[in-house]
Amino acid sequence: MNFKKILSLLLILILSTTLLAGCNSGEVNKEMGKDNAEEEPQEKSSKMTEMENALMSQLEPMPEINKGEKIGVLVISLTNPYWVNMKECYERAGEELGIDVEVLAAPTEGDTTVQLETLDGMIVKDYDAIIFSPIDRNNLIPGIIRANQAGVPVINLGPGVDEEGLKEQGGFLDGRITIDFENQGKMAAEDMLKQMPEGGKVAIIQGIPGAGQSEGRTKGAKEVFENAEGVELVSIQPADWDRNKAYNITMDLIQAHPDLKGIFACNDVMALAAVEALETANEREGVIIYGVDFTDEAQEAIIADRLDGSVTYSSRAYSKAGLLLALKIAQGQEVNEAVYSPLVIVNKENIDEFHGWE
Amino acid sequence: MDIKYDKKTSGIEKPFTQLFLLGVLFILIIFLSIYSPFFLKWNNIRNILDHAALQLIMAIGMTFVISTRGIDLSVGSTVALTGIFIGLLLKAGFPIFLSSILGVLAGGILGTLNGILISKLKIAPYVVTIGTMSLYRGLSLVITKGQPIYGFPVEFTYFGKGDFGRINPPIILAFSIILLGAFLLRYTKWGQYALALGGNEEALRRVGVSVNFYKTTIYTFSGLTAGLAGLILTSRLNVAEPNAGFMLESDIIAAVILGGTNMKGGKASISGTVIACLLLAVIRNGLTILSISSYYQQLLIGIIIIVSVSISEIRQGKQIRIYN
Repeated sequence: MNFKKILSLLLILILSTTLLAGCNSGEVNKEMGKDNAEEEPQEKSSKMTEMENALMSQLEPMPEINKGEKIGVLVISLTNPYWVNMKECYERAGEELGIDVEVLAAPTEGDTTVQLETLDGMIVKDYDAIIFSPIDRNNLIPGIIRANQAGVPVINLGPGVDEEGLKEQGGFLDGRITIDFENQGKMAAEDMLKQMPEGGKVAIIQGIPGAGQSEGRTKGAKEVFENAEGVELVSIQPADWDRNKAYNITMDLIQAHPDLKGIFACNDVMALAAVEALETANEREGVIIYGVDFTDEAQEAIIADRLDGSVTYSSRAYSKAGLLLALKIAQGQEVNEAVYSPLVIVNKENIDEFHGWE
Repeated sequence: MDIKYDKKTSGIEKPFTQLFLLGVLFILIIFLSIYSPFFLKWNNIRNILDHAALQLIMAIGMTFVISTRGIDLSVGSTVALTGIFIGLLLKAGFPIFLSSILGVLAGGILGTLNGILISKLKIAPYVVTIGTMSLYRGLSLVITKGQPIYGFPVEFTYFGKGDFGRINPPIILAFSIILLGAFLLRYTKWGQYALALGGNEEALRRVGVSVNFYKTTIYTFSGLTAGLAGLILTSRLNVAEPNAGFMLESDIIAAVILGGTNMKGGKASISGTVIACLLLAVIRNGLTILSISSYYQQLLIGIIIIVSVSISEIRQGKQIRIYN
């Protein structure tokens, strides 16, 4: 019996080590990121400089840099390419600004309690400020309050927290920088309509129902579609950010609406699945498909004339602005207004301007 | 303590649950065809079969696993890992057919690892496969660094979405696996031992059957079906990604249980699994066709599972379970 127990323990040990290896995949990424950075030409696209300037102007007066502050960053999960990229951007911006940046994450996108425990662990680590992006609106609130009590400034980047709930429980945010999700949906939908002057039937593919990005983008796009003349929004279907579900939903949608003219998907993964499905069904012609995020895959698809467009912002500028905001606050400046990252539409016409975008 | 192979106790035939499900399926089809003119079009029926194919293939493997009173929670992760393996092979320039075969076999190896841990070390299937679920998912993430692999040769997409007359390869593969599953369960020692393992493992051991061998190979089979699903998914979406098949195991297990295979082992129904997979696919399709939010989908599937499992349990009533 004991033998069995020991074996089980061993097995669990091995498994958890592998799991940890999974969490640490960021280490590998860091090296990879560096390699890439060396290979890539350092020139920035014109669009990127433009957006970086727009974002930075919101942060005046700038904090002092190269003072070696220690900033902790808590992201959602490194199983998501988006956050993997953000981690690299943070680390690079940290080097640029001459500060210490440590990026931590929850093991999966659903692990709300582990993310909170990670934040609790970070509070005792003597950071000059903590930047966090919560999995949902409530999971980090107890940790934020503990950070407030410990006097560690907390900056919320991206997905928001329930600020009323936080206030009721006696906590506060020192700063907030975010993307206007609703505006992402709005911009994508408006650009789609420009490409379909005759109007027609459109559909929205959502992410996980209830997730901030998904609900915001849907709301923005829905308002545009509903207020446009000659445009009929026929269906809003959640595909949970899952490629296969989005593929299946698209296949079903074109059965019920063979005259569908446009699909807005709440991210590029689902938009690309819609492209794949319509190509398979030989119905790709005449349908405008937009996503959000402008992933590498989406970039290639737009260049290859498969995907029609996407909405994005510069992750590089965004993460750098997050760190600058944290520095300002750590150095005693007060920032009461939320900072919004400017957004940009990418489509077939302007894709050339996005070479080397990040 | 002897094992009976007659159909009543070994539980191959338990048509009530299946008939009940079939009834629900028919009512749903009639309802949907009245409410939507698109539902009975061939293209839509083909969609339903195409969407169900992935679940069907994996559910057949899971049916055997559950009939041994086991469970395989790692199948969703196996789908991702085998897909990534195929993707890497293709990127390295291996021929399409070879890469695909190797990918499916890799699924079998992952399944065998589950089987060895479960049978040789006698660790509960739940514990082993919840571990390998994380292990395989973690490996997928480490290998790909969280990024999708894409841009495969066009010919490769044939497995997932090519045309084969009026149907497509996933439907043919699913149909073949169903026939294979039915044959294995009904006419082979291997299938009978799967049920007997769920019924009374100790008795089987005492009559000199190599229990470990049969147990291990049943998990191998489940791994192979997951590998095949990984191939189809990668080919259909033209992408191998570490998040593929996330939580797929819960859909598969739900379908198998809904189909009348008993979690307590000793009872399996291929036809039930097939009907259940089709039912779930029809529900998903119908809700999209009718533009109903899929919040209701979760609700509806939950109700159907609870109601039908309750009904068949009540029907069984005082039937003495053979593992007692």
